Amino acid sequence: MKLPHIDLKELKRLKEENFKERLKFIDWYTNWLKKSSNKTWSSQQKKIIN
Amino acid sequence: MEYKYTKERIELEKELNTLDEFVLSFTAILNKLNLNYVIVSGYVSILFGRNRSSEDVDIILEKITLAQFEIMWNELNKLFECIITENVKDAYNDYLTTGCAIRFSKKGEAIPNIEIKFPKTELDIWTLNNKKEILLNRNHLFISPLELQIPFKLFLGSEKDIEDARFLYNLFKDKLNKALLLEFNRKLNIDEVFNRYLT
Repeated sequence: MKLPHIDLKELKRLKEENFKERLKFIDWYTNWLKKSSNKTWSSQQKKIIN
Repeated sequence: MEYKYTKERIELEKELNTLDEFVLSFTAILNKLNLNYVIVSGYVSILFGRNRSSEDVDIILEKITLAQFEIMWNELNKLFECIITENVKDAYNDYLTTGCAIRFSKKGEAIPNIEIKFPKTELDIWTLNNKKEILLNRNHLFISPLELQIPFKLFLGSEKDIEDARFLYNLFKDKLNKALLLEFNRKLNIDEVFNRYLT
């Protein structure tokens, strides 16, 4: 089986970009959370956690 | 998000998820026995709406005697079981008093579980003495003060921890004791991490 070439620098860069995007999402999500009623956010959280 | 934030406590009403219910069923027993404890793990961010789960919830329990521990053990064993050892004296002598944690799950289940340890450092003792009271749907529980929880998450430093720290900071930055937070940043040597990810 021929394995793909792995560019570790590229993977590291993609990992860092992914992390930055998740941090941006946290900013978006916390803004949404602040504006949402407790019933709205906690019922959505319940669906994910349960 | 509606909550009431004072220096002593945060009051919050939410639709409880299974992890909240699990934690409340455990802390109700600690409360009933008037034990001094504090939740220090990622559950703190989940409590306030972070959308992730956790396989364990870390609790620091003030050092108690074997006799007190046996009472706690017997109360917990009505609903929970210790998944590290079945023997109460081993749990106390071989684990807790030697600095190791023990874990309790609901009977017959492994996940989620509560990891309990006695305080090992001055920081653990400070956390116990300065815990924040939470009134969650009128149930009492105690968490690490956010001015420590946020810097400590940054100190731990995994991507998940940094995300938890950013989440809590975004939510509560207007309420926090900034001087205390910055002092913990300094003591934990994470000023640079704080400036990179939280400002």
